[in-house]
Amino acid sequence: MLARLDGMLDVGGISKRFGKLQALDDVTFSVHPGEVFGFVGGNGAGKTTTMRIVLGVLSADAGEVRWKGSPVDSDLRRRIGYMPEERGLYPKMKVGEQLRYLARLHGLGSAEANAAVRHWTDALGIAARVGDEVQKLSLGNQQRVQLCAALGHDPEVLVLDEPFSGLDPTAVEVMSSVLRDKANGGVPVIFSSHQLELVERLCDRIGIIAAGRMVAVGTVDELRERDTASVVDVHGPAVGWADGVSGIEVIGGDGGAHTRIRMATGTDDQDVLRAALAAGPVHEFRRWHPPLTELYHDVVNSGPAAGVEVPA
Amino acid sequence: MSAPLTARQAVLLVARRELVTQVRSRSFVIGLVITLVLFGGVFLITGYISSQASSKTLGVTAQAAQLRPALEESARAQDIELTIREIDAGTGRAQVADGELDALLTGEPGGYQLLGLDTVDSDLQAVVTSAIQQQTLTMALAGTGVDQAQLAARSQLAVDTLEPVDPDAGQKLAIALVGTFLLFFSVSTYGGLVASGVVEEKQSRIVELLLATIKPRHLLAGKIIGLGAAGLLQLVILSAIGTVGALAAGLLTVPGATVGMFAMVIVWYLLGFFLYAALYAAVGSTVSRQEELGTVLAPMILLLIIPLVPTLNLLPNDPRNELAAVMSFVPFFSQVVMPARYALGVASLGEVLISALIAVIAIVVVVRLAGRVYQNSVLRTGARVTLREALRT
Repeated sequence: MLARLDGMLDVGGISKRFGKLQALDDVTFSVHPGEVFGFVGGNGAGKTTTMRIVLGVLSADAGEVRWKGSPVDSDLRRRIGYMPEERGLYPKMKVGEQLRYLARLHGLGSAEANAAVRHWTDALGIAARVGDEVQKLSLGNQQRVQLCAALGHDPEVLVLDEPFSGLDPTAVEVMSSVLRDKANGGVPVIFSSHQLELVERLCDRIGIIAAGRMVAVGTVDELRERDTASVVDVHGPAVGWADGVSGIEVIGGDGGAHTRIRMATGTDDQDVLRAALAAGPVHEFRRWHPPLTELYHDVVNSGPAAGVEVPA
Repeated sequence: MSAPLTARQAVLLVARRELVTQVRSRSFVIGLVITLVLFGGVFLITGYISSQASSKTLGVTAQAAQLRPALEESARAQDIELTIREIDAGTGRAQVADGELDALLTGEPGGYQLLGLDTVDSDLQAVVTSAIQQQTLTMALAGTGVDQAQLAARSQLAVDTLEPVDPDAGQKLAIALVGTFLLFFSVSTYGGLVASGVVEEKQSRIVELLLATIKPRHLLAGKIIGLGAAGLLQLVILSAIGTVGALAAGLLTVPGATVGMFAMVIVWYLLGFFLYAALYAAVGSTVSRQEELGTVLAPMILLLIIPLVPTLNLLPNDPRNELAAVMSFVPFFSQVVMPARYALGVASLGEVLISALIAVIAIVVVVRLAGRVYQNSVLRTGARVTLREALRT
């Protein structure tokens, strides 16, 4: 199934096998210009493999990565900003030299490289450390250097594997605002993370991957629509009001004035509201908005078979 | 705006980083100093040993003292500096025990005894044996009327050579051995640095970042060229100091042979280095951590040591040794054996060129295979990559 690919960066049906392990199976998603795309999934789900394939560091067995409609080639790959999962820097090389070297490898001239290093080390608050060896920096600062390395050549696409892991709250803020700024500047940004609250707050769209398959792709709201549209929180009537009401199932609550119910398909929510009012005053009757954490658990646990269609 | 790098630019950028990093590193300077100290030490020790080796002190008891002229004659014939001290048996034993005497000779004709501490020096034993034989012979001949002078004259052996004896053979040997050590040292050190550099990039995962922008073969080529240049720089500095120093100090009086060997060492360093560096890089790329490197490099070290064996053990006494001659044409061995044979004057320039050509062909083949292994292995972390997996296209 190849969806119509119209995003700026389209990952189309990529599969990758390592020996007996099917690491990726028909992974498809798109990232649009100016969009921050959060890539979530458990350890070994395939996030890193996907990103490596986008970068051309690994080759896919099937499928392709397209950018503005044409296959990604080495010339574009050079213009992607990449932050690998396990940080990659020469431990004994000085920060400034290292960043200049990487910028030069991405094709910048000597003067441009110097200017870029000055700009980004300044923006990320590590300008004072450019003369220090990378290994002398704290892990958080090393990560800022790593981000500088990804940004130094003014990339047209950003692919960041776990950019937030191990950062303190200040650094998380700095990193978030840089990603947001880049996206606002029209650069598609993909990043993976285990910090679901952060993903929920920062991302325009989210892709959930499990066991090598995309099980859900969409905005947080779209994901919520998926199977929680019929879940309602009711505050007011004492527990027990729902007993005997047809077409609903109690799935949670506090055993007192709060009840969470799921309505069967075809059940009229107004009928349910009337049943609740019959039992006592209703102070609140509203659609439940599960946090991404719960969505994630639902999606991952229900397995790939229950995956939503990739939005066209 | 950035422009794509050409292959040459990419290789040069990588090579420059490797060279600069290496030359600025403490290990580069330390390596230079240690090598110079080592060579200086070896020269001093060799000099000391050769000044010591021929001087022996032998104690003789009064009874055995009649052997003294024969002993002196025999020592002279065998080119051994012998001091003879007459002493009584008791004191002699004590002095052998103290190490003041190398051995003590007791007894009388028909029953001599040579006493050493825990072993009897073989040179000394040869001198004494020959003296006793001479004495016995003289005594036996005394009654027969044979003219001893005539007998001696008739026992002469004349030694001659087809080609003139090379008066500089000793110096050439010294040059060959120093060159051999330099080559072994440079190729193993800088080959090893290539391997650990590959593992460093793999372990720190920077290789992912690098390979997202340049091709694996450009990264590998840049690394090998950069480190090779650092090794070349070190080798040139060492050789230049050695050559100038030895000529200035009068240790070497053959500037032609010395400078010729200098050039040979440089050329063979390059041939040997590229061959081994490609292999080292391939082997290094199959492991993920520096700790695992030792295990996979052990066979490489062995491969490097093999050509040292004929060079150090066979060539000094037998420059035309056939095994060494064969090995001087075999890639992986030739970089050590051929320059030594050339320095000893037993290989012609033509032979050197043929051997170099074979080495170049080997480099082309090995670099291709190594490049394939490297590309297949460098992004795979975790378990060691097997050779079969690494070689598949």
